[in-house]
Amino acid sequence: MARLVRTQVEMEGRYEERWTLVEDDAAPEYADDERLNVVGHPHPRISAAARLSGAARFISDISLQGMVHAAVLRSPYANARVTSLDLAAAAALPGVRAAIGPGDIPDRDGRPVLTDAPAYAGAAVAAVAADTPEAAERALAALAPAWEPLAFVVDLDEGLARQEFTQDPAETTRGDVDAALAAAAAVVDAEYRTPAQVQSPLEPHCAVAVWEAGSLTVWSSTQGIFAARDELAAAFDLEPDDVRVVCEYMGGGFGGKQGAGPEGFVAAELARRSGRPVRLVYSRGEETIAAGHRAPTVQTYRMGADADGRLVGIEGSAVIGVGLHGWVFPVLNPAETLYACENVRSMVLPVKLNLGFSNAFRAPGVMEGTFGLEQTLDELADLLGIDPLEIRLRNGVDHEQGSGSPYTSKHLETCQRRATELAGWAQRYRLRSDGRVRRGMGMASQIWWGGGGPPAHATVRLGKSARPTLVCGFQDIGTGTMTASAVIVAEALGVAVDAVRVQAGDTARSGYGPTSGGSMTLASVAPAVRSAAHDVRTQLLELASDLYEIAASDLVLADGAVSSRDGTLRHEITEVTSKLGNSSLVGHGSRGPNPEGMRIHTFGCQVAQIAVDTRIGAITVERVWAVHDVGRIINPMGAISQVTGGVLQAIGFALTEERVVDPTTGTVVNAGFEDYKVPTMADTPEIVCEFVDSPDPHLGLGIKGLGEPPIIPTAAAIGNAFAHATGVRMREAPYTPRRVLEALA
Amino acid sequence: MQLRLTINDRPHELEVEPHRPLADVIRTDAALTGTKVACGEGTCGTCTVLVDGRAVLSCLTLAAACDGADVRTVEGDGELLDRLRTTFTAEDAFQCGFCTPGQLLSAVALLRANPHPSADEIRAGMSGNLCRCGAYPAIERAVARAAEAG
Repeated sequence: MARLVRTQVEMEGRYEERWTLVEDDAAPEYADDERLNVVGHPHPRISAAARLSGAARFISDISLQGMVHAAVLRSPYANARVTSLDLAAAAALPGVRAAIGPGDIPDRDGRPVLTDAPAYAGAAVAAVAADTPEAAERALAALAPAWEPLAFVVDLDEGLARQEFTQDPAETTRGDVDAALAAAAAVVDAEYRTPAQVQSPLEPHCAVAVWEAGSLTVWSSTQGIFAARDELAAAFDLEPDDVRVVCEYMGGGFGGKQGAGPEGFVAAELARRSGRPVRLVYSRGEETIAAGHRAPTVQTYRMGADADGRLVGIEGSAVIGVGLHGWVFPVLNPAETLYACENVRSMVLPVKLNLGFSNAFRAPGVMEGTFGLEQTLDELADLLGIDPLEIRLRNGVDHEQGSGSPYTSKHLETCQRRATELAGWAQRYRLRSDGRVRRGMGMASQIWWGGGGPPAHATVRLGKSARPTLVCGFQDIGTGTMTASAVIVAEALGVAVDAVRVQAGDTARSGYGPTSGGSMTLASVAPAVRSAAHDVRTQLLELASDLYEIAASDLVLADGAVSSRDGTLRHEITEVTSKLGNSSLVGHGSRGPNPEGMRIHTFGCQVAQIAVDTRIGAITVERVWAVHDVGRIINPMGAISQVTGGVLQAIGFALTEERVVDPTTGTVVNAGFEDYKVPTMADTPEIVCEFVDSPDPHLGLGIKGLGEPPIIPTAAAIGNAFAHATGVRMREAPYTPRRVLEALA
Repeated sequence: MQLRLTINDRPHELEVEPHRPLADVIRTDAALTGTKVACGEGTCGTCTVLVDGRAVLSCLTLAAACDGADVRTVEGDGELLDRLRTTFTAEDAFQCGFCTPGQLLSAVALLRANPHPSADEIRAGMSGNLCRCGAYPAIERAVARAAEAG
């Protein structure tokens, strides 16, 4: 029976209470002593054949009969007014099907998608659709825009001095910070700066839109098909079910592809006006200047401890270069939550700049905040003469200090002890030398959310072939949700993982599934999948019970067979399902509520070993040891890949990635992979990865999220390793050779 | 202009404008969308295909310059490509899979030129192919395993 209950759901640290539909016949948890045949064992991706043969159709591969190509006119100025724009001239060119400008598209998030007051270089002003990409380029030229350039601010310090904010600065306090710091045995003051980092998925933002009989279908390279559907339905005044959003294969998102995006709005409007399917694919340059960023920060900390290294007070401020608008991410959340400290004051100043917009990039806010906090803690440990591991162990905490709520589970200390043990932390002094190349080792810890929540729905069908089909509303953005879900179905039905078909990424085919963000996908979806598969399992065992005249409770499903517990009876599952004819067993499942009065968090610790070439300023990350507490691991093979990817993106943040803006023109000067340097195979260290793999006792299947945790501590560990190697603290990322040489000079 | 290409052993006679890049002709005219374009300016390796056995960036290669050429893409078959598919699967050497076609073709070119590369040679040979998901350690192992199996 279905009923509605209230539950707390979190996304990137923002909590909301919502009603959720609960079904009473939720699947039982895996018992502590249950032998799992599939869950927890490594499985290659079920999409491997499609992805390795070119058969996987990505969004930018979608091609429809009569499809035309869109292009966008973008402002070359950091701030300007458009004084003229000739849409009619563009529309009159041969092969041009539509030309639209400011005011022609419904607003998105309360902001115009096309504007005559572009306030960053790259802001969209107009868009065209034409028979070929070349004709679309000619149409852009025919728009003949005239611009009135205006004054702009792109420098973070200048923006702060002008006191222009995207929203009011916010201060939060607990305890008496000033008194605590005045009484502290040791206090450090530190400033850290972090760069604007660009998500840079290899498939740029793209969408293909088509209208048919008043309904809109959009193939979108998105992290949230249902968010995209709801945005488009609201904007174009349609019922949600009159919009279909499809995303079967997409080429990466890393936070930056939320909802339908401006590209979805532009494609949909051009398709509406032209009566043709429209494809819009951003260029690499557009992807770099007009698709969002991890905002640059200036963080200052004043941190005090008693003589034993117990934190007594932390004062932190974060100046965040949000850009024109965007989410203000929780840069100081690590300062507020990672360690026990009764007195904490944090101040966030979201500065408005003529520089695009801030959107999510894997662990937004928390990754850059951890970079500052975890290095400040090492400075304090150094001042007190306490080992960095020891000071972290002395400041553990078993509850969320803001709310006072207990954690559902926390194994941070296990992570810290295991990561340092793997790395040989106790002997790290042996790495140091005074030669040209200096080695060092540093550590850092991590806290993140990742509990997921309702709603999420799943359906499993089983027909005569005994190959189950899972239908679910998530999208697999490369994280392996498809395979992990197949693992859960295979466990319940006793079939091979490869036998499970997964249909996901299509709002017309399934019930609601969550956005791939906040490390919440699998933690939200898996219990629903398990519940649906268990429903089918119960029905299958009842059929077998009737057929073989044995109690269902005496039967087990494994290895493609239904067997009696005593081993006297064994039949292939297909023998049972062959009786189904054209019927199917169908099971439904949904995600239940989150536990009341508790906070769900993931934890972890990483150690980095680096080599610094002091003559040329080059840093080589040699090894990273990563140990994370993310609850039960469903597919260790995919889980390790998530950690590897997070570590590598953090290495980019620490060493090479920085969006650079020309202060005289306000334009991005490195809008492409030639100058915006993402890591390559040659930059890749040995990465040793382990999980605590302890199911969370309060969550469905014990699963917590994994997408974001591994990117969080790496850069801070590299910073601490640099200080260990050289005795010098580098305060600004990325640690480019120029900055390294300046720091060592 | 009239263009003759053999793509994965199949002959194509195409009418193309002389300015068009090979990647676009493969994806649009030959309808083989396995080859991906991620930057369009020769900086990421995603669009790598083999032209007469050489790995080229098809986004920067004019189709017109390939008249009569033998082109191999990810849709092709062959013992070495199949071996790499097996090891890429076993090592989880891809996540979103968008860069994977280019990774596979670069690995084919590398292993044809150097059937038993050292670890450093694999890293040097594969460093022109970006993978933003960060599957590099798995890709490196997959290429090494494919070499061992050869």
